[in-house]
Amino acid sequence: MTDELELLKRDWQKKEFDVPKLSYDEIHKMIWKKSSSIVKWILIISILEFTVPHLLYLLPSMREGMEIYDKIGISKYLLFLSGFTYLVAFYFIFQFYKRFKEISVLDNSKNLMKKIIKTRKTVKHYVIFSLSMIMVTIIMMIIGVYLNDNITLAFPELKDSLENISQEKLKVTIMLSIGIFGVILTLAMGGIYFLLYGLLLRKLKQNYSELRHLAV
Amino acid sequence: MNKDLEHKFVTELQDNQNIVHKVCTLYTNDRDSHNDLFQEITIQLWKAYPKFRGEAKFSTWMYRVALNTAITLYRKRKRRIDTADYESIIFKIKAEVYDETEELQLKLMYKAVKQLNDVDKALVFLYLEDKNYAEISETLGITEVNARVKMNRIKTKLRTILNP
Repeated sequence: MTDELELLKRDWQKKEFDVPKLSYDEIHKMIWKKSSSIVKWILIISILEFTVPHLLYLLPSMREGMEIYDKIGISKYLLFLSGFTYLVAFYFIFQFYKRFKEISVLDNSKNLMKKIIKTRKTVKHYVIFSLSMIMVTIIMMIIGVYLNDNITLAFPELKDSLENISQEKLKVTIMLSIGIFGVILTLAMGGIYFLLYGLLLRKLKQNYSELRHLAV
Repeated sequence: MNKDLEHKFVTELQDNQNIVHKVCTLYTNDRDSHNDLFQEITIQLWKAYPKFRGEAKFSTWMYRVALNTAITLYRKRKRRIDTADYESIIFKIKAEVYDETEELQLKLMYKAVKQLNDVDKALVFLYLEDKNYAEISETLGITEVNARVKMNRIKTKLRTILNP
């Protein structure tokens, strides 16, 4: 084999590959093209992950939905919770920015891969945090409904049709629906996030473990 | 000032483009992907160029960026792999060989190298470019001992591919 590799080496070094040589202009044009590197994709997707949940609040229908919190009497706790969420989000954004800045193509391959995976992990932790916050909100809503003495008031538009249902039954139904909705929402969002990155980073992770598990 | 830098960069890359073509040939199987990867490497080289202060040879500096792009940053676009294309790339590699057995041997070797995984290809590439183990280990971020062990394993792997 060594002989064959040596043969290959000799051939390789004198080889001018049979690909059209690029001209000065062709190369010059290339340097202004947009990169489609994995780091760029991670940056774009991460920014989306940081912003999309917050943009949702700007939709009018979502804002109307917020009124429900008032009605079941948990809005002041939620205000506290969202203040906390924003603080943590800013911390994550700062961390992400720091990590992202550390990524350099001039690093050695192993470090480069490690830093990309670390950057991605920061966002993953943020996503886990956001999803837990959704769960906390859902749980608070369920508790709010449970402690509410006159739940019919929260749904004035349904007042007539709700009159002949008992308070207890109505409460259980609402709590169950909120609970199921919350679980589905969390699972769906979590699924999208992890699928997205799983696909994006699969090759990189394979190569990284290839370099890392070089046991002698 | 930027115009100067641009001009210097493009000229140097033009002179050394063979290195990038070699990396692209190893890591892609058709002409379009080859050009895609070439472009991505060019973009990465250009982005990193302001940090290149001439402490190393331009070509030496290129190896790291080109390999990092190929094995870490580059995202293959989904496309149908054309078998004809694949074959043509392998057999297009026509060396100035004198003897037919040698030519056949070379073709089989190239084919075997193309079947290796990304990291192994990087090692073989640096080896073929006559880099020593110190340089190989530094580029990939592994120890020199590991680089040697790895290279021996690759030789075994190649042997298995060639003589199944």
